Amino acid sequence: MFNKILIANRGEIALRIIRSCKELGIKTVAIHSEADADSLHVTFADEAVCIGPPASKDSYLKIPAIISAAQVTGADAIHPGYGFLAENASFSEICTESNIKFIGPSPQMIRAMGDKAFAKDTMRKNGVPVIPGSDGLIPDINEGKKIAEEIGYPVIIKASAGGGGKGMRIVWTDEEFEKAFQTAQTEAEASFGNPEVYLEKYIENPRHVEIQVLGDMFGNVYHYGERDCSVQRRHQKLIEESPSPALDIQLRNKMGEAAVLGAKSVNYEGAGTIEFLLDKNKNFYFMEMNTRIQVEHPVTEMIYDVDLIRQQIIVAAKRKVETKPQKPNGHSIEFRINAEDPSKNFRPSPGKITSLHFPGGFGVRVDSHIYQSYSIPPYYDSLIAKLIVWGKNREHAINRGIRALEEFTVEGIKTTIPFHLQVLQDSRFLSGNFDTSFLDKFEFKE
Amino acid sequence: MDLNLIKKLVRIVDTSGVTDLEIEENGLKVKIAKKIRNSQIITQPQFAPQTSLFPHHTSSEKVEETVISTGESAAVMHEIKSPIVGTFYRAPAPDADSYVQVGDDVAVGTVLCIVEAMKLMNEIESDVSGKIVKILVENGKPVEYNQTLFLIQPS
Repeated sequence: MFNKILIANRGEIALRIIRSCKELGIKTVAIHSEADADSLHVTFADEAVCIGPPASKDSYLKIPAIISAAQVTGADAIHPGYGFLAENASFSEICTESNIKFIGPSPQMIRAMGDKAFAKDTMRKNGVPVIPGSDGLIPDINEGKKIAEEIGYPVIIKASAGGGGKGMRIVWTDEEFEKAFQTAQTEAEASFGNPEVYLEKYIENPRHVEIQVLGDMFGNVYHYGERDCSVQRRHQKLIEESPSPALDIQLRNKMGEAAVLGAKSVNYEGAGTIEFLLDKNKNFYFMEMNTRIQVEHPVTEMIYDVDLIRQQIIVAAKRKVETKPQKPNGHSIEFRINAEDPSKNFRPSPGKITSLHFPGGFGVRVDSHIYQSYSIPPYYDSLIAKLIVWGKNREHAINRGIRALEEFTVEGIKTTIPFHLQVLQDSRFLSGNFDTSFLDKFEFKE
Repeated sequence: MDLNLIKKLVRIVDTSGVTDLEIEENGLKVKIAKKIRNSQIITQPQFAPQTSLFPHHTSSEKVEETVISTGESAAVMHEIKSPIVGTFYRAPAPDADSYVQVGDDVAVGTVLCIVEAMKLMNEIESDVSGKIVKILVENGKPVEYNQTLFLIQPS
């Protein structure tokens, strides 16, 4: 087992990782920028090293500074958390070269799953349903038009090197195809330096349902059910829940087996998430695989009684997965609390927290790094807390969520707590019958 | 009393854990005391102390010397800080002479030390001219970003 782990991250996830390390008897090293000197993860780690000025590119993304910090503190492993360098193949490689265990996948695995066209192809070859589309990159407009007709409109043109909505064009009729193709290529070239595009069937208003997997070096791969993450604003998840209101036992088994098949086909080790799109007819299609721990991992932990971070560490230490999936228990919902003003279009609201009270009681979990009189630095993302509730069923979890959100007190800054309370009164959310277009039609009332 | 002896005693108190030293010789008594100030930084709960290379910054210690010879403590010092995380070395090689000693005069560009990171030796230069007043890190010890290494009295 590792002697000392350096956490290459900040905020709530750094604290989360420290907690699992402590339970395993592993010493912890926190790294931080100058802006995070007063951060809670710095306080709770056994050691802390300042690695740079506030800007992420000079601190949390600065590989030499992080490796150097691991070397001077004698850390034998690094946990990258999520975001930052968690899916950076170079970082994974440099860790290995520096004789430090990267708690995550190999550089080859990161590259393979990071290449979206390749990942999709791999899954398809292994029998995992994928979104119908072009077989790889489109060589030219005429070929593209042919494939679009085969798939059936609407289709979406996507940049192979892309993400974040850039280099993407939805095409509804074949008259629009040529212009859309040209524009997408130009945008892809400008954003990513690579004009290559591929084609997919456009699935209107899907649900986003992802499957959590764990694999170890002995070839064991398990799935821990699904998370429904359809409540999204501009492709950012805000509320996640498990189980998904859209899944029954048969569909869960089918999707879980597909996810395990996909992960096994690439000999996946560690924690990973396979993201699917679910269309109106309950057909599911592979979208992408995330080779890291995700923000919303706690809802799975509540339902399957598994410490996913602990399992990541154990697997990286060359052991078998400890906790095999049992029958899921109850219903769990996570609310991402951001330092944003929902009445002002979710404008970021950094500043000092003058008064703070976390909700508590049965079935309530708060993963957070904030404390009273803490000043939220403006340099990083706005997530300040995750409120996770558990209930015997969905209705119970929602009631508990309302109770906990009403108790959650944060003064001095604006947060999205009022927004979550309004969502929990929305009839579409309460019915369980919603998709990724839900928030497009939702209006926050001041 | 021998001024050199007093200087030696001051250095002993400064660089060791000794806080009070009293010596009597031939009817003359010398007392040297070290003041330790704790500055309160954050209003958060206090946690158990760590024994490590980099204990957290829940309090900072300012060590000042109450010294018989006057003059040095009053001036404004220029701090030389480490631009990277790494290991601090006083000399270019284990058996070589240190780049600088306390009391040396330095100019802009004078190499003061090495901070080694990932097997690369980074030479740290002075950005002012002046005199080395204090060297704050021991040879071979780790340093973090922006940690103060030297105090220089600018000329």
